Amino acid sequence: MDNVKEKLQEVFRDVFDDDDINIFDEMTANDIDEWDSLTHIQLIVACEKEFGCKFKTTEIIDLKNVGEFIALLKSKI
Amino acid sequence: MDKKQSKIEFFHKLFSDNLSSIISGNELFKLIRRFKKIESDYYQQSKTNLLEKKIAILGSYSTQFLTDAIKLYLYSMGISPKFYEAEYDSIASDILDQNSDLYQFQPDILIILTHYKDIKTFPSMFCDDKEINNWDQSYLNYYNNLWKTASKLNCQILQSNFVIPVHRSIGNQELLYPFSITSSLMRLNQSLSVHKPANVTLIDMDYLASCFGKWEWFDDVNYFMSKQGFSFEALGNVSHYIARLISTIFGKINKCLVLDLDNTLWGGVIGDDGLDGIILDPNNAVGEAYLFFQEYVKQLKDRGVILAVCSKNEEEIAKSVFEKHPEMKLKLDDIACFIANWNDKAGNIKTIAKQLNIGLDSLVFFDDNPAEREIVKRFLPEVEVIDVPDDPALYVKALLHSNAFEWHQLSKEDLFRTDYYIANKKRIALETTLDYDSYLQSLEMKGIIDIVSKMELPRVAQLIAKSNQFNLRTKRYSEAQLIDMQNKNNEYQLIYARLSDKFGDYGVISTIILKKVNDQAFIDTWIMSCRVLKRGIENAVLNYIALNALNWGCNCLIGEYLPTPKNALVKNHYQDLGFKKISNEPEENVEQEGNRYIIELSENMQMKKHFILIGG
Repeated sequence: MDNVKEKLQEVFRDVFDDDDINIFDEMTANDIDEWDSLTHIQLIVACEKEFGCKFKTTEIIDLKNVGEFIALLKSKI
Repeated sequence: MDKKQSKIEFFHKLFSDNLSSIISGNELFKLIRRFKKIESDYYQQSKTNLLEKKIAILGSYSTQFLTDAIKLYLYSMGISPKFYEAEYDSIASDILDQNSDLYQFQPDILIILTHYKDIKTFPSMFCDDKEINNWDQSYLNYYNNLWKTASKLNCQILQSNFVIPVHRSIGNQELLYPFSITSSLMRLNQSLSVHKPANVTLIDMDYLASCFGKWEWFDDVNYFMSKQGFSFEALGNVSHYIARLISTIFGKINKCLVLDLDNTLWGGVIGDDGLDGIILDPNNAVGEAYLFFQEYVKQLKDRGVILAVCSKNEEEIAKSVFEKHPEMKLKLDDIACFIANWNDKAGNIKTIAKQLNIGLDSLVFFDDNPAEREIVKRFLPEVEVIDVPDDPALYVKALLHSNAFEWHQLSKEDLFRTDYYIANKKRIALETTLDYDSYLQSLEMKGIIDIVSKMELPRVAQLIAKSNQFNLRTKRYSEAQLIDMQNKNNEYQLIYARLSDKFGDYGVISTIILKKVNDQAFIDTWIMSCRVLKRGIENAVLNYIALNALNWGCNCLIGEYLPTPKNALVKNHYQDLGFKKISNEPEENVEQEGNRYIIELSENMQMKKHFILIGG
């Protein structure tokens, strides 16, 4: 697993307080019970902190799955 | 210890150490998530020490995170909140529809969070004063109407003022022209502050935003995305502030700042460095920092915070700095209780609380030494301990960040408080030379006992919120509830007493609520400030309420004592005044909270003796 994916997995485990979460590219909000609009905001905040970047409004809206999340992060760091 | 219990212990520790207002959004989110998982267990384990309150929160922006964060801070202040959260942007509909869930919920506190976008129209360019006045008045009317309707909830309302936005079209001229958005909103904030009724408290959100930095405060991405009212990085600040305001409404108020001396009020150690060696020189950056802190502390004293000193020092040497150092801003007369010795500080702080006759939970401890802070935290968890930074230049901000002396209201009585303690030293000197009756006579006391009018109401509300010791039933009523009682004057009598003597004026020091139940007058509340213990005020008050109850058509007074950890002082209050204990009647199967006492009333009853000249 590459570095970005690994760090993102840690963020997911932290935000959802579940050490058993394993992220995969096709993963969406449907795959995690607690992934709602509120935890989504927390994910974004935690990622901005962890990766030291800022997301644009369109980028956040357009995110469809974890794969796109990883690609977006890679483009920013 | 199992995993879950260790998570609960984590929060016990976090809350007893006072959760700081300085925390990143991300860290706060983590705490919120972790707390949610164990909240019910935490509550079960701590509920006996928690005050349970219902809080409704209505906002023009999303309030979920704010609610969660306020909850954490309230728990750390000893309050367990139950929240009612409205749909976003439904302030008016929730309040105006009296069938709404809000009215079902019956909150103790209603929080209204406004946003400048609530203001849909502004005065037109170059309009005259009349248009601006009308604009101001129309919004004032709008909020007055909401407050008036919401007052049926009988709860205290906390409403944020408007945070003036950073975007402005007239640039630097915004302040010059009264029709500009900046000028208009400043004016509206001012109008709301001046014209709000007593049961409304305005949260100075514009101050919070300015302190935080408005450029960052307005997080436009998250506003557009999910209607967040301000940056997540300000969440700790705002929630701590609001939680503190709520806790002061429920009587959790810090009254006294306990200060260390060496490296707290001045640089260096007076015992080692001597008067000319300690750093207090205004021409030296470090000296200036200590002086700045002293000046701020003096301002706190001037507005009613009691100051005490608790220092490991020789008393005479420590006092010499106050007496002899030319740069000292604080003088010995500013300090109500001065303890300098080599005993442990936890013990000394207990002595301070005892001497000042205030609860340990109303003390704030400020000491540069982390070891001393740790000892006080460990042995006196009730005392609020400030996290003092290493750099004295940051002392003032540390005190500000703690919001430790955020009070719900000021009263003139507070301002004289420290002076009272100084005068009291003289009074005690007099006391020891005379027998007690002659002493009381020599005080030349004058008093007023009367029905509470609008003028005394804020002070009476404050007594009811703050008093713990001389408080027979410890029922807390909000100002709104008191106004309600005033209006029902055939059912309730709100009474106050003022006292002055030749040493000074104490202002309003006692309050009593009588409730008429058929031909009995029930003493719902009897509170007195401990500063005026043993002056015979109770006797004068009893004479007054007995006469009032007679005139009300009552044939007896009923008193009740409900014990709390703090009011043992008045355990025998009613017996001492000649009331008879009413024997419990178990056959009635009525659960009684405390012991009840009765005194019969008649036209020719004996008046109680006292030495207070009562005038109108």
